[in-house]
Amino acid sequence: MRELNFILNGTPATATAGDTILDAAKASGFSIPTFCHSDELKPFASCFVCAVEVEGRRTLVPSCSTQIMEGMVVNTENERVRNARKTCLDLLLSDHVGDCLGPCMTSCPAGIDIPGFVNHLAEGRDREALELILNNMPLAGSLGRVCTRPCEERCRRQLVEEPVAICQLKRFPADQAASKGWNMMPKKLPAIGKKVAIVGAGPAGLSAAYYLQMFGADCTVFDAHEAPGGMIRYGIPSYRLPRNVIDQEVDVIKELGADFKYNTQLGRDVSFDELKAQYDAVFLGLGAQLASGMRTPGEDLEGVCSGIDFLAAVSRDESLPIGQRVVVVGGGNTAIDAARTALRLGAENVTILYRRMREQMPAWEEEIEDALEEGVHLETLAAPVKIEKVAGGLVMTCIRMELGEPDDSGRRRPVPVEGSDYTVEVDEIIAAIGQNVDSSMVSGLELTPWGSIKANEQTGQTKIEHVFAGGDCVTGADIAVNAVAAGRRAAFSIHQFLQGENVVGDPKGYNHSMGNLSDIPEEVIAPFGQVKRTPMPRREPKIRAKVFQEVETGFTEEQVRAEAARCMECGCRDARECSLREFATVFGASPDRFAGSRRTYRRDDSHEVLVYEEHKCIQCGTCVRVCDELLDDPCMGFAGRGFDARVKTALDRQLVLINSNELVKLAEYCPVGALTLKSDVVATLEPEAFLNAKEDK
Amino acid sequence: MSSSFKISVGMSTCNMAAGSRELFQTLEKEGFGDDLSIMGCLGMCHAEPQILITDTDQNEFLYLDVNPAKLDKIVHDHLRGGMPVDTWLFKASQGEGAELLGKQQRIVLGNCGKINPEKIDEYVARGGYQALRSVLIQHDPMAVCETVLASGLRGRGGAGFPTGLKWKFALAEERDKKYVICNADEGDPGAFMDRSTLESDPHAVLEGMAIQAFATSADEGYIYCRAEYPLAVARLKTAIQQAEEKGFLGENILGTGFSLELHIKEGAGAFVCGEETALMASIEGERGMPRLRPPFPAQSGLFGKPTTINNVETLASIPWIIRNGADAYHAIGTEQSKGTKVFALAGKIKRGGLVEVPMGISIREVVEEVGGGTGTHRKIKAVQMGGPSGGCIPESLLDTRIDYDEINRTGAIMGSGGMIVLDETTCMVDVARYFLDFTQLESCGKCTFCRIGTRRMLEVLTRICDGDGVPEDIQVLDALAVQIKDSSLCGLGQTAPNPVLTTLKYFREEYEEHILHKKCRAGKCTNLCDYEILEACTGCTICARKCPVDAISGERKERHVIDLDTCVRCGVCRDVCNFDAVKVV
Repeated sequence: MRELNFILNGTPATATAGDTILDAAKASGFSIPTFCHSDELKPFASCFVCAVEVEGRRTLVPSCSTQIMEGMVVNTENERVRNARKTCLDLLLSDHVGDCLGPCMTSCPAGIDIPGFVNHLAEGRDREALELILNNMPLAGSLGRVCTRPCEERCRRQLVEEPVAICQLKRFPADQAASKGWNMMPKKLPAIGKKVAIVGAGPAGLSAAYYLQMFGADCTVFDAHEAPGGMIRYGIPSYRLPRNVIDQEVDVIKELGADFKYNTQLGRDVSFDELKAQYDAVFLGLGAQLASGMRTPGEDLEGVCSGIDFLAAVSRDESLPIGQRVVVVGGGNTAIDAARTALRLGAENVTILYRRMREQMPAWEEEIEDALEEGVHLETLAAPVKIEKVAGGLVMTCIRMELGEPDDSGRRRPVPVEGSDYTVEVDEIIAAIGQNVDSSMVSGLELTPWGSIKANEQTGQTKIEHVFAGGDCVTGADIAVNAVAAGRRAAFSIHQFLQGENVVGDPKGYNHSMGNLSDIPEEVIAPFGQVKRTPMPRREPKIRAKVFQEVETGFTEEQVRAEAARCMECGCRDARECSLREFATVFGASPDRFAGSRRTYRRDDSHEVLVYEEHKCIQCGTCVRVCDELLDDPCMGFAGRGFDARVKTALDRQLVLINSNELVKLAEYCPVGALTLKSDVVATLEPEAFLNAKEDK
Repeated sequence: MSSSFKISVGMSTCNMAAGSRELFQTLEKEGFGDDLSIMGCLGMCHAEPQILITDTDQNEFLYLDVNPAKLDKIVHDHLRGGMPVDTWLFKASQGEGAELLGKQQRIVLGNCGKINPEKIDEYVARGGYQALRSVLIQHDPMAVCETVLASGLRGRGGAGFPTGLKWKFALAEERDKKYVICNADEGDPGAFMDRSTLESDPHAVLEGMAIQAFATSADEGYIYCRAEYPLAVARLKTAIQQAEEKGFLGENILGTGFSLELHIKEGAGAFVCGEETALMASIEGERGMPRLRPPFPAQSGLFGKPTTINNVETLASIPWIIRNGADAYHAIGTEQSKGTKVFALAGKIKRGGLVEVPMGISIREVVEEVGGGTGTHRKIKAVQMGGPSGGCIPESLLDTRIDYDEINRTGAIMGSGGMIVLDETTCMVDVARYFLDFTQLESCGKCTFCRIGTRRMLEVLTRICDGDGVPEDIQVLDALAVQIKDSSLCGLGQTAPNPVLTTLKYFREEYEEHILHKKCRAGKCTNLCDYEILEACTGCTICARKCPVDAISGERKERHVIDLDTCVRCGVCRDVCNFDAVKVV
């Protein structure tokens, strides 16, 4: 075998006669992306993503099919080649229709594999479902009750009737684990001998602790309160989230080895400087627990308190005495929680006062309805003017409002109606207007104008290298799932930092999407018949309003199977192995650079095991050549011309009519998700983080 | 009843489209059947049908633009009365005739219009098959290759590769089987050089192929002719049959032991099958998609065997070169571009048709002298050369000589010979869009950059012509054009961006006008211009009658009005108005 000398990327290299540039580059450690290349097939040179520069040749040449010649000067990494590679991918993506990951999964801040766990639940694999959830969400039972469900807003099932009850499904396996005593300890990586201080045992801190312990770090979690949970314990009443659910989930974190120090407040009991000095890294999950004032005269009087202070007090003592007449000012979930809690404490007359209209209230519609069902009154377009003490209680002067011009948030600004003042006699006033961050006990960090801590969005790292932050103390008052996600990202970042690696957090791969709900083709939803969403069983309103027992009692097993079966399994079976996704991630490609007309959705599900999704095809022709060269059976071929050229089955028949046993092999060769096996369900995704991790047996 | 004349009626597709078949039938009915013959195309497609009358003294009388009424007079005055109708005769040595023929040198087209293409004897009588005979007698394939190489002949299909060199590569291959192919796919819109040659002088091509086969040691060949040329296919079939009967083709040609079996393979309507590897795939029964070269056809071509592919015009040049010698051919043309080239003149040209000129003549001479200029009061704006793979050469560069390298330096290419003349009524952005539209329809779809990239370029151009262009579009077109050229598998993709690149280079202000000012100065892009009838209008009603969509209204002798909602901006009203009363605003 003749040896040839050539120059590769500026350095001398050798190859054997007959080697292609692709072979030779690989042998020298330079990888070149390919789609249409296969060692078992003759070179085809259709995709051109492998194109490289050869000195003396006018155009770029496909490395998969160009043979090395003596003295050839090859460049596989210069700007011209890289630009061509990216353009090739940008062009392919501009004509690609499909989703790598389902819209539910991409909208979940924590990145939970939703189609995955839902599929497990549909088929009775509750344990596997929970394991999958725990990879991204350690507080499955808690969030499975109180999460605001961004996933359901994007769930495509609503194009048929309603979204899948993803959140309510999520609590089921967590509740099963609790009631059946399953050991849900995750796999741990070997200990790394590093200590991390976590300030705040709220969702952000708990999440950071869970994952850092898994990664082998030793965490100490400090919290000013006497019990863990932060906002989800002290800001959410127990009839929505029972305390034992939180405690059981924290027990797992303790079992993982985290040390909890309660009643320890940053600034008062331990200083920021101490933590920075004594620990290898610090995570700040301080929350946003400073209540906003009403800016109403008399708000400092006794009998007036903030929503979160009220809820925190009740959280410690559910038999707190309360007056008969209670007014709650505000329109968010905290206001609703406060109102419903007041009822449960025994208040006879509870009214929510909101300055705008009901449709503009930030609180969930279900919560508002639940509250009204239980007997809470709602007074809209009214705002407090002043509060005065009188014998026997308080008098609140209110004024009627009407809607004027929209403000910065786009909502129409309420404007007082002159002379419409009226007074109300009350025993207690609860102001649930908003919350701010108290960052007074951490110095040396960059802050935003509103006092929250500035931290890198992907990694959570602050200005101080070994100090990380996440959750409400960075974003301002926000939803719990964002805090959990931030804690998890910070855990990845801290681990990278402690190991001396690049701090990058948990970067997501490229994701392609079919678009918004209005972009989804009719053919996608047509196969699904109407199956109404399973309603969550609830205790009877009049009864439940008197007690703190959980209002929503959870799905039964039959209900879980039925509801989970409504999932349309959006997302691609090939998401883990797709070459287009892989290269798009590596080269930063985008479908928007050359936006234009795109191919139409066309899916053939007829075959027993093989699925053909023509809209994902990149026209590489590999399947055609496999049929031609390996199977000697022309099942697939090219049809049409130019942009409208397509790979079709012979005579464009349905796959099920193609008489070939070998057809299933095509899924193996297809570099993208156009040809897949039904058994490669969307549900068997492994968490990216642990694919390459070493395991601690 | 036979007269003392021989009457040849032009019977090429262009003549027939103009009505020559009906003239032929009339002459038969008039009793001239025994004197009637047919001839091919003289290249004067602007003045057809044509009838050539030869008297017993061999005087030739060529009548142009003959219609039934004129034929009546010709029959009466000339055929029966012996008096030629002088005013309708073509005069080669004066006026327009001299302008047209003066600078031409008809080597490839030498027999076209002079012989009956369906009678091999007429071809032989003018020296046909003598070249083949001499080549076979000399019995030295290498010598033939050297002769062709020395002549300087370069591939006339557009690539311009030295023909002799290509033959030598194939000859050098020591294999048991070799093929020759004649590429008669002629896909460029507006190109009809090959069609004309095949219809008018098919034997020149056959003789060329036989010499090509001998020189490369091939014994089997294909003529790949597009199915849209049924007359050419029919004439070829007849010619092959007659040649075989006479021993010029088939087994043991002229008793020398050399055999050549020729097949005709019709194309199926794909421009990409003019590309040699796609063409060979098509002959093999595969989908016409190109393959990567190397290996080149000379090493591994049809069915994996060494194959020599040449264009019709290239092959039709061979017999002349063999008969007259390499030096004679070499003496014509420039340093790097030898011999003659056939051009198909079309567009805004007075004398459209086929012309054959020596290399080295300027484009301006071809278009303004041989072609007679635009024939209207409008000036030439640009000349498009090379079809969808070529480019637009602006008026300022028309002194560029017909030479492969000089033309390449302008950004255009010689191409197969299409030469389309454009004037101020042509929108250059629309021209680019037109060619890209064609390319997209014809792309086989195999490789990414051509398949998707040309579509994206087309979408941008369409937007610009619709009035929705944005300033970034020019950058996008530029960048994408260069990348498509850089990463396409075959010539289709590699050259598809050329019309865009040349129009951007020379007519950038038109792009900018379309994008920034939403104006189309040429009056073509519907959303970017309006047509208005000025006061100069005399109400002659010609425009209203000629308007294809009935958008013009007005009373006789009253100023007419154009309904802009119906108007499609075709420009016919502007063309037919004798008072310059139609203006583009």
